[in-house]
Amino acid sequence: MTASLEDQQTLKDEIADLERRLQDAKSRLSQNELVGTPSLPSTDTGFHALLLLSDSALPLGSFAFSSGLESYLAHHKLAASSISQFTSFKTFLRLSLATLASTALPYVLAGYRHPEDIETLDNDFDASTPCTVARRASIAQGRALLTVWDRSFKAQYTTSHSESEGQITSADESKKIAIEALKSFSAALRKFDYINAHLAPLWGLITRVLSVPLRDAAYLFLFSHARTVISAAVRASVMGPYQAQNVLASSELQDRIRGLIEEGWDRNVEDAGQTVPVMDLWVGRHEKLYSRIFNS
Amino acid sequence: MSYKSPFSTSSSKPGHGSIVVALLPPNTPVLREVSYQYPLKLVAPDPLALPSDEKTENATDPSPSLIHTVFLLTYGGGIVAGDVINLSVSLESKTRLILLTQGSTKIFKTPDPNLVSRQCMNVSLAAHSALVYLPDPVQPFAHTAFSQSQIYKLNEGEGNLCVCDWVTSGRSARGENWDIHEYKSRNEVWTVTSDEKGAAKKRLLLRDNLLLDKNGHTNMQLSDRMDGFSVFGTLIIRGAVFSSLAQFFMDEFEALPRIGGRDWGDSAQQKLSPQEERRAKRQQQEKKDGLVWSAANVRGFVLVKFASKEVEGSRNFLKDMIKEEGSVLRNFGERAVLCLK
Repeated sequence: MTASLEDQQTLKDEIADLERRLQDAKSRLSQNELVGTPSLPSTDTGFHALLLLSDSALPLGSFAFSSGLESYLAHHKLAASSISQFTSFKTFLRLSLATLASTALPYVLAGYRHPEDIETLDNDFDASTPCTVARRASIAQGRALLTVWDRSFKAQYTTSHSESEGQITSADESKKIAIEALKSFSAALRKFDYINAHLAPLWGLITRVLSVPLRDAAYLFLFSHARTVISAAVRASVMGPYQAQNVLASSELQDRIRGLIEEGWDRNVEDAGQTVPVMDLWVGRHEKLYSRIFNS
Repeated sequence: MSYKSPFSTSSSKPGHGSIVVALLPPNTPVLREVSYQYPLKLVAPDPLALPSDEKTENATDPSPSLIHTVFLLTYGGGIVAGDVINLSVSLESKTRLILLTQGSTKIFKTPDPNLVSRQCMNVSLAAHSALVYLPDPVQPFAHTAFSQSQIYKLNEGEGNLCVCDWVTSGRSARGENWDIHEYKSRNEVWTVTSDEKGAAKKRLLLRDNLLLDKNGHTNMQLSDRMDGFSVFGTLIIRGAVFSSLAQFFMDEFEALPRIGGRDWGDSAQQKLSPQEERRAKRQQQEKKDGLVWSAANVRGFVLVKFASKEVEGSRNFLKDMIKEEGSVLRNFGERAVLCLK
């Protein structure tokens, strides 16, 4: 009996010892991960840039646009009950995101992947935007983004680039091309009036320059749109601010944005198009509203 | 452009067709070529002489006296799953053409959603040529997959267009309501310029691309995405020949009553001019038909988007607007709006 008890004790000790060693090894490994292989600086700057761009105070003037929500509400004279307004808002948000993903997202992706094509992308996006109201909104925000780049980001991102001249990697090289493309586009905007500076392709190009990973850039593009529309809904008194945060935080929105990016990842700009035709009418008829609080 | 022998037989590829309108000096437009292969069929009735008024503003450059018309038809009156139609249309300088259909373009059921029927039309327009293409709507039946593209290439950005593209929800009498697998329609206008070396350069002027399929992560049926509308359409207008029509659409859009506006009764009822009376009548009809529309002046185009609850609503709208403005009927004759009757 005693022998077996002793056996059990030694076994227990052995287990405890093994567990301790395992934990020790694990902690050493994770320390190695944290300290031994630091993440690349480019990823860090990308994360920082993502935070910069996600700030709703970024002076893009997006607060002035409802992307058709105001017109949608006017076209659906709803019962005053907030429940029906809220349900109908959620429908609008879905349709609005689907539209943005099918019309603009391909241009974000292309602007990121092919910075040298920015002028063509800008022209083609302009050609594909059928109504004055949507064009105005897109151009206003695109130009604002370009101004933010020129006045606030450019100095930082172009100098830090030339400082790290120790070894020129291919990533540096491609970033340089993107910066050059951005510079010449910005110069051309001042010279030629056929350049419009639409938001979508510029968003792609600028996030590329700021080293934001493409998936994050695309996610933020759609997320910002959702935030803008939701914030417009708060100001149009469709819902309260807490309800708004609830919609923004919902896993439904997260899944939708991820799904839309997945779906549009390989879509060419030639195949961008309108999936919700009535959206063009809502946005286009915004001009006909008797009273307006938004620009779109 | 490869040289085409005048003696060659028409192209033998199934579904291929070609229309060439040329100008026989000094001033006679002729249909130089009308060729087609099953399942496409083209019918060209005798050209019509322009309705009397030959004394146009610029007498030195009178508009061509004959207007040619071609009906685009398919055998069996519709497009069967897997059909592929390729039509090329070429308008030489100073020519005019009316393209028509005979009844809606019916799209028949496909056994497999991946089997997509296609229809492509490539139109090239030389300077001072003009095309009116106001067809009947496309009517995709339930369980169909269809993709069409209309590509217009304008030489040096010139050339005149008045083209419409509209689609309906299916056979509403049978309860069909956007029960399709997939419907895509692309309208593109390009300007083609050749540089000093003769190399052609093209630039996109307009792209109107409608994609109705299961994508979009909306968790909604296609019919729910349509907000109760059964017809959607786009009218594209460009060029000097149609400038007054374009202006008319813009003016009428401007004159639409404000959404959410109220009549406070403080504006004295003035006597309406005949034009205002027609406008009021039309707006009433639009309201009754559940028709909504918008017009935008972008990049040298006037782009009109419309939607209605029933086919007739959109048909009435197009017909009334075009007839009231009148320049299309004057310059092309009544035939131009045959499909809107």
